[in-house]
Amino acid sequence: MITVTIDGKKIQVEEGTNILKAAEKLDIKIPTLCYHPLIEPYAACRVCLVEVTLRGKTELVTACNTKVQEGMDIQTTSPRAVQSRRLNVEMLLARAPAAEPLQRLAREMGLEKPRFPVRDPQEKCILCGLCVRACEEIVGACAISFVDRGIERKVMPPFGEPSVACIGCTACAYFCPTGAITYEDKYGRKVIHDELYLGPSTAIRVPIRQAVPMVPFIDEKACIHFKTGRCQLCAKVCDRQAINHEMEDEVIEVEVGSIIMATGFKPFDARRIPAYGYGRLSNVITALEFEHLVNASGPTGGKILLTNGEEPKSVGIVHCVGSRDEHYNEYCSRVCCMYSLKFAHLIKEKTKAEIYDFYIDLRCFGKGYEEFYHRLLEEGTKFIRGRVAEITDLALTKEEEGKLIIRVEDTLLGVVRRIPVDMVILATGLEPSVDHNQIAKIFNISCSQDMFFLERHPKLAPVSSFSDGIFLAGCCQGPKDIPDSVAQAGAAAAEALALADKGVFALEPVTAEINEELCSGCQICIGLCPFKAITYDREKDISVVNDALCKGCGTCVAACPSGAAQQRHFRDRQIMAEIEGLLIL
Amino acid sequence: MPKLTIEELEKLREEARKTTFIREQGQFRAKINVHMGTCGLAAGARHILNAFLQEIEKRGLTDVLLTTSGCAGLCSREPMATIEIAGQAPVKYIDLTEKKVEEIFEKHIQGGEIVTAYALGIGSEKTDLS
Amino acid sequence: MAVEKEKLYRVHLMVCAGTGCVSNHAFEIKEALEKEIKRRGLEKEVKVVTTGCNGFCERGPLMVVQPGNIFYQMLTVKDIPYLVEEHLLKGRPVKKLMYQPPEEKTPVPVLSEINFFKKQVLVALRNRGLIDPEKIEDYIARDGYKALVKALTQMTPEEIIHEVTISGLRGRGGAGFPTGLKWQLVRNAISPDNEKYLVCNGDEGDPGAFMDRSILEADPHSVIEGMLIGAKAIGATQGFIYVRNEYPLAVKRILIALDQARYYGLLGHDILGTGFDFDIRVVRGAGAFVCGEETALLASIEGRLGEPRPRPPYPAEKGLWGKPTCINNVETWANIPVIIDRGGKWFASIGTATSKGTKVFSIVGKINNTGLVEVPMGITLREIIYDIGGGIPGGKKFKAVQTGGPSGGCIPAELINLPIDYESLTAAGSMMGSGGMVVMDEDTCMVDVARYFLSFTQDESCGKCTPCREGTKAMLDILTRITEGKGTEEDLGLLEELADTIKEASLCGLGKTAPNPVLTTLRYFRDEYIAHIQDKKCPAHVCRSLNVYKIDPQICFEKGHGCDVCRRNCATDAIIGSKGEAHKIDQTKCIKCGVCFDVCHFGAVKVE
Repeated sequence: MITVTIDGKKIQVEEGTNILKAAEKLDIKIPTLCYHPLIEPYAACRVCLVEVTLRGKTELVTACNTKVQEGMDIQTTSPRAVQSRRLNVEMLLARAPAAEPLQRLAREMGLEKPRFPVRDPQEKCILCGLCVRACEEIVGACAISFVDRGIERKVMPPFGEPSVACIGCTACAYFCPTGAITYEDKYGRKVIHDELYLGPSTAIRVPIRQAVPMVPFIDEKACIHFKTGRCQLCAKVCDRQAINHEMEDEVIEVEVGSIIMATGFKPFDARRIPAYGYGRLSNVITALEFEHLVNASGPTGGKILLTNGEEPKSVGIVHCVGSRDEHYNEYCSRVCCMYSLKFAHLIKEKTKAEIYDFYIDLRCFGKGYEEFYHRLLEEGTKFIRGRVAEITDLALTKEEEGKLIIRVEDTLLGVVRRIPVDMVILATGLEPSVDHNQIAKIFNISCSQDMFFLERHPKLAPVSSFSDGIFLAGCCQGPKDIPDSVAQAGAAAAEALALADKGVFALEPVTAEINEELCSGCQICIGLCPFKAITYDREKDISVVNDALCKGCGTCVAACPSGAAQQRHFRDRQIMAEIEGLLIL
Repeated sequence: MPKLTIEELEKLREEARKTTFIREQGQFRAKINVHMGTCGLAAGARHILNAFLQEIEKRGLTDVLLTTSGCAGLCSREPMATIEIAGQAPVKYIDLTEKKVEEIFEKHIQGGEIVTAYALGIGSEKTDLS
Repeated sequence: MAVEKEKLYRVHLMVCAGTGCVSNHAFEIKEALEKEIKRRGLEKEVKVVTTGCNGFCERGPLMVVQPGNIFYQMLTVKDIPYLVEEHLLKGRPVKKLMYQPPEEKTPVPVLSEINFFKKQVLVALRNRGLIDPEKIEDYIARDGYKALVKALTQMTPEEIIHEVTISGLRGRGGAGFPTGLKWQLVRNAISPDNEKYLVCNGDEGDPGAFMDRSILEADPHSVIEGMLIGAKAIGATQGFIYVRNEYPLAVKRILIALDQARYYGLLGHDILGTGFDFDIRVVRGAGAFVCGEETALLASIEGRLGEPRPRPPYPAEKGLWGKPTCINNVETWANIPVIIDRGGKWFASIGTATSKGTKVFSIVGKINNTGLVEVPMGITLREIIYDIGGGIPGGKKFKAVQTGGPSGGCIPAELINLPIDYESLTAAGSMMGSGGMVVMDEDTCMVDVARYFLSFTQDESCGKCTPCREGTKAMLDILTRITEGKGTEEDLGLLEELADTIKEASLCGLGKTAPNPVLTTLRYFRDEYIAHIQDKKCPAHVCRSLNVYKIDPQICFEKGHGCDVCRRNCATDAIIGSKGEAHKIDQTKCIKCGVCFDVCHFGAVKVE
């Protein structure tokens, strides 16, 4: 412990404490500009000057980085220190008159107008270097630095060009004391103040505005801590210490009696239809993208805008994209017609644009759906019956210039039409989810021809799968809208509850069994069982059939080389006896 | 001869001195002044000069200085050279030939004995050798 | 490199090839010499050797003939054939190419007799004009690396440091910190993996200073040997020579020297078989004066932004990459081999009580003998300016001498008997600095001098700390206004206020010393400032916008007969008069360019 005197008061502090901190302990405040507790002191602004006497020598030193020494006599408001401080603040004020902390300091010191010429009355940057040092020391990205000497010194990325090292963490803006670096939220991402041309979204972010739970996640691929071991600024500033970079994925094992599959769907990828120009032509968007656009917490705040920022004057909605199509999916995706009508209604409400709906059949099957369609007819939406052949931007007449042209055969009129519009919305269909193959394998679920999970019986068991205890709900079983999904989910839940409630479970009697004495443990049957009903008992070196899972298909019986596997009620002898009986006739 | 040992460094030093010593202003044991000028040159003073040079080089001496000067005045007895041993009066040699140079070098400069047969006289022009 | 036996020549022509003479066609002189020597069949007798800077830069291109120490100066290629024939062939030195002092009638043939050289004591420059810097054998012949052998085999590190300490050698870069003490501090400092570094500061940025350049160009091995000895003393295995990129010849010669030293095993592993390891890397500066400051220099070597950092911790404790580092100036290193060879006591016998040894100075400005000199500490300014420097050209009055470059101050004529050492210069308000000396005469405006040095510091300020970055610009603006006749009394007060704060509050030496030229000129030449501010006049007539040009009609008519030359050269038609009659200047049109003053042969144009 070291004893020093500050402004006449004695205090004991630990070795290695700087004068600033020591003074804080006595509630003596020394002004600073380029100091921050989380960053190494820089001693550049020279505003924290104090007068220090040690071993007979007196000099002005900066309080932020000078460590206390035994016997130091520190004067924080001596005339010499105050005068130097004042002149420094005055000179800085001439450089950056619009910096608020500086203005505050100047007011406290009784400074009004600097005696030096002001170059830029809007300048806020006081060249404290906190941004640069944060970027280097804490984050480790080193995307910005000081460039040019002397008076021309400024903060910039290398050569003033957008920096590839910047990860858009906004630490620079966070530490900037004067607001010279700002950022705004554009498109749900963070874009730093234009002049600094900094980069894309942050590594820790809330995935979408309506995420449930509304909690940020850390994108490991972008997070600089996982690349360099540095930063962790988020953890440092979180008051509740809620951030833990070391969290790992956990594998949890739960024993359950029944499983409900609700793994959903994926939208049809419109890039598979090159003729529609999705991904190539701007303003051709999919239904989900339109949903995002029109949402009040979306990138445009709910306004329907083209890529050039203007409202469209005409919109075309193309039905059956990827559905009812020999080349892609033959089935009808069920929900597209209704959401397309919803879009038409929304667009009409928000923009008064001309709307064209290109359909084959309009499937308005539900409650109030047909009535909604009539409403649209009244609103003036134009319905054109025909499959859209092509969307192009190649204009053939003056009216078509700068527009997207929809080429379609109007089957009711019997002509091929070219309809110019500003925006095209593709009503993409529904397909099984991305990993449905994997899931089907793991859970041993059959799929129908359209690749959705197969229900046990289309009419009588629409929520059960062929495996007992595994139920299906929602779009994993086939395209459906929300009311139907909810209904199906309820049904599946009920079935699962019923199972749990019963406690006992009636088995089909026609199951396979394996004779322990005959079984040699060859395990051929195990690989063949489509229901994964046979397991291998290592101790006894035999295969064992799980009666609950066995469906009595007889595959193992046929395959068993020693005849150890037999089907109850359909034993070989019984079958032979039946055959004999038939032959007698 | 890379990577010297200390002994090799000293040897290198000695060798190098043998050709650079003429730049020094220090003490020289002996000074040889060959008189040139047009007359001297015509009489072949260059050869005498080179003969002295070779003697120095042959023996690897670093304390004998060889200089030239203009005509000494006695043009008829050229080539001439004045030899001064430090601390002694200078001696003028005349009608020199390369053979005589060898003898003078061995006897006078190395041996300390003036070769009176070839000498003109012992002059009073002293050169400050310090 | 020569492994075969060198031939003995009877004459060595030591041709100066320092940058100054090189830019004055020294290499062409060399070629002409070689050509002529060959033509005359003298190539087995005469050798042409290029050396580093001779020091008498005013008289270049120059050459010294050895043996004999005959000094030839201001040579041209045309002079060479005659020179070769007369001196080398016929033994008759050429009088008209020798140095002749301005007031004397006869030339001085021998170098050591010339006043410029007479009072010099060569320690750091001990090999001046006597070695070819690109031949390590020349250095070795003159006792090169002898001190290294002694240090490696006969002395312990403590003994080496002791020798340097009793020598009293102080850092020659400007700060004057005792070298022995610095070495001791670095030796004592703890490095976790035992790594310590050695750095040679060759960033010489002061305008007009070329001491370090000359040493590096003329005798790079003296620095290398010094560093080797230092490395042994403090326990370093890696050294750096940081040299500014604007010294290409110095860089070239150092690299050659390092290669040759490595070839002979004087650098690298197991040096001279003693088990000592050390090597040196060259790092070039990138054009920043501030990188001469030690912490900025270290940052530059590390590849970081070249800006200083606060001290403590000092580099001796935490330097390059956080390891203890010993940084010394070129001239300091060059002194070390001699100190070890001849002993610290011998070195301390030269100089004053507090400043031991010699110092190399570059004398420039209004002086007859511009050049590089090495003199013992304690020599008076008078001796340097008049005995060595040959006085002020044109018989003008000596006014002041600026020492220490832009960090130093002006010493006025009344202090001409001041002995030169660290303490006395500081007491006079200036400082030793790295050894630049700019001589000024009655035609120098001291306000303009202050402005010039401040414009340099302001341009070179790194911009990190507020007082230096903003303050030097503010001071420069005020000074510029004063030289333009727009200064006020408040300006002087503000100037002093700024100077005091910048001096106290700046982070590094650049800022802390930047106000010195202003402060010393205010101290000794305040009247010139007052004249600029109150009378709007520049007493030395340097600040053109304050000059008033008038034509004396009597002289113009009687002597010049109205020759009309001034009117014809006036860019703004401000001169009225026709041929044959006395001319007059219209002050409303005059832009004070001074051309009429320059072109008038009769001295009719007067300036006030």
